[in-house]
Amino acid sequence: MEYVAQQIINALSFGAEYALLALGLAIVFSVMGLVNFAHGEVIAVGGYTMVAFAALVTANPWIIVIGAIAAATLTSVALERVAFRPVRYADPTTGLLTAFGVSIVLQNLFLLFISPRPIAVTSLYFLDAPVTVFGIQISSLQIFESITILVVIMGLVLFLQKTTAGLAMRAASLDFEMVRLTGIRANRVFALAFLISGLLAGLACIFIMARRGSVDPHFGFNPVLKAFVACVVGGFGSLPGAVLGGFLLGAIEVGMLVMLPQEYGGLKDAFVFGIIALVLIWRPDGILSPAKEKGDKL
Amino acid sequence: MTLTRSQKRGILGACMLAAILIAIGVLATYFASRYQLRLIYSAYVNLIVVLGLQVFMGNSRLTNLSHSAFMGIGAYAAAICVTPIAMKQIALPDAPWGLNAFALDPVTSAVIALVITGAVACLVGIFIVRMTGTGATIATLAILVIVHSIFLYRTDIFKGNQAFFGIPQVFSLTSIVILAVVVVFVVRGFRESPWGVMLRASADDETGSAAMGVNVVRLRLIAWVLSGLILACAGIAYAYFLGTISARPFYFNHVFLTLAMLIFGGMRTVTGAVLGTFAISFGLEVIRWLETGPVIIGVNLPEVLGLSGVMLGLVIILTMALRPVGVMGDREIEELVLKKK
Repeated sequence: MEYVAQQIINALSFGAEYALLALGLAIVFSVMGLVNFAHGEVIAVGGYTMVAFAALVTANPWIIVIGAIAAATLTSVALERVAFRPVRYADPTTGLLTAFGVSIVLQNLFLLFISPRPIAVTSLYFLDAPVTVFGIQISSLQIFESITILVVIMGLVLFLQKTTAGLAMRAASLDFEMVRLTGIRANRVFALAFLISGLLAGLACIFIMARRGSVDPHFGFNPVLKAFVACVVGGFGSLPGAVLGGFLLGAIEVGMLVMLPQEYGGLKDAFVFGIIALVLIWRPDGILSPAKEKGDKL
Repeated sequence: MTLTRSQKRGILGACMLAAILIAIGVLATYFASRYQLRLIYSAYVNLIVVLGLQVFMGNSRLTNLSHSAFMGIGAYAAAICVTPIAMKQIALPDAPWGLNAFALDPVTSAVIALVITGAVACLVGIFIVRMTGTGATIATLAILVIVHSIFLYRTDIFKGNQAFFGIPQVFSLTSIVILAVVVVFVVRGFRESPWGVMLRASADDETGSAAMGVNVVRLRLIAWVLSGLILACAGIAYAYFLGTISARPFYFNHVFLTLAMLIFGGMRTVTGAVLGTFAISFGLEVIRWLETGPVIIGVNLPEVLGLSGVMLGLVIILTMALRPVGVMGDREIEELVLKKK
């Protein structure tokens, strides 16, 4: 019983991490139709900022955390301004390949100017302490993760439902031209989408860092690959889909960890993606994919 | 069988490309050093990969990121079949299913490799072609990761990141040039065939072409499997020349490289694929030389590892920002020479 409860909590915390990342990808996709391959590098920038802060500025973990979130957010907004603005109204493939290029450039810049080897950050270890709740041993990190994702989802829902900017973003995902006609500035909507995406990446960065304890140029790659898969399963561009996909992926992954024998550990991801493929046979566009018009708009 | 106007032009264009490929090959045989010959050989292998990528991406306009995995499947399948028993006993001492207890001639091995890769491509393709743009791309990325993790995990068959050695050297520069020429004709032929025309129409307007009776899913699957077979050819050519293979060359770096080549040249045309491959192969050698920190006019430049990656990424970004259709756009080589119709 205890074991089952523990595994369920594991699945939830994995899922929360994927959902955070998947939400960041989905919000940009819903507004701009861009598949942001550079999301992983935004996370890596957050990681490297932690290294820099811890080494040069302060040992206070809260300042380091805030610095990392700020750096990730700024990077995300800066990327929109520099790299993604020229391809804003281009077709999805162009945007996707641009983002792919940005990701390669950033990864190699990390290699070139920082280091190809992992750099350790020890200041976040305190987040990961064992706690006993109702007789079940869990990590405090898992509690933080669950709280964060709850707060993020509630915050996003409030923002999208109650504010003008949120309304503009929801409208932008349906018909961007119409939003511009009502006098909303396109630049603001895009900047806001990337700001939120960067913020979520920063939050995710902290949890990934607390788990792994070191950062290297490919830091963001694996988590973001999972987040992409979560988005595809949930339905690309749908925010509830991103959350659902994230948690589903977390559940499948923990299920695989529990059920696969030890010697097949290296093939865990292959099995996880295999199961996801089965879900996609059932719904090729993802579980909660929004209805799509394929013909020309009149 | 009568050919349409564009098909006749296609044959002409393919002949022109073939002439260029043969010319480069002949020049290389006479003037290149041993080291340069190897580089030129690998440029031709990459050319076949890029052409294989073009068949699917250029006609259906779905981005594929798993091509290096299929090249790897072809290379490993051929290598396991063709390597002499004595070598395999050393290289793969505990391979299952008696894989290290037989050896076949190069032609049979290549055919087996093609059949295996084609079967895998067909199986995977059934999932891929039903998805829409973005989903399909992410799914191909997942396939790349799955195949790579299998290569790494089954060290008893694939040796993972260690070298699988002892493959007899069957190919020379001449054979790869001939193979590349054949592939150019196949790829251009597919582009101008009724299938290719219908597939390109479906990329322009999926609903419209479906209304005209185009079976989009089936055509995408045909292009995907053809692409897989060409990639397998590239993998076989790679293994048959180098004599050793490992899992590493069939992963992300190779995906970036070949994708940048196709995008730079222009994915919509066969000419673009050829141009992009040679332009980037040449440019990359210059950058690799700069990376080592050479002395130019008395100035000792610093060593900058990772520069080639930055440049490849920039090539993709700049092409997308300035000319998203690539250098060639929608023009094939013969249209540069002949009058517009």
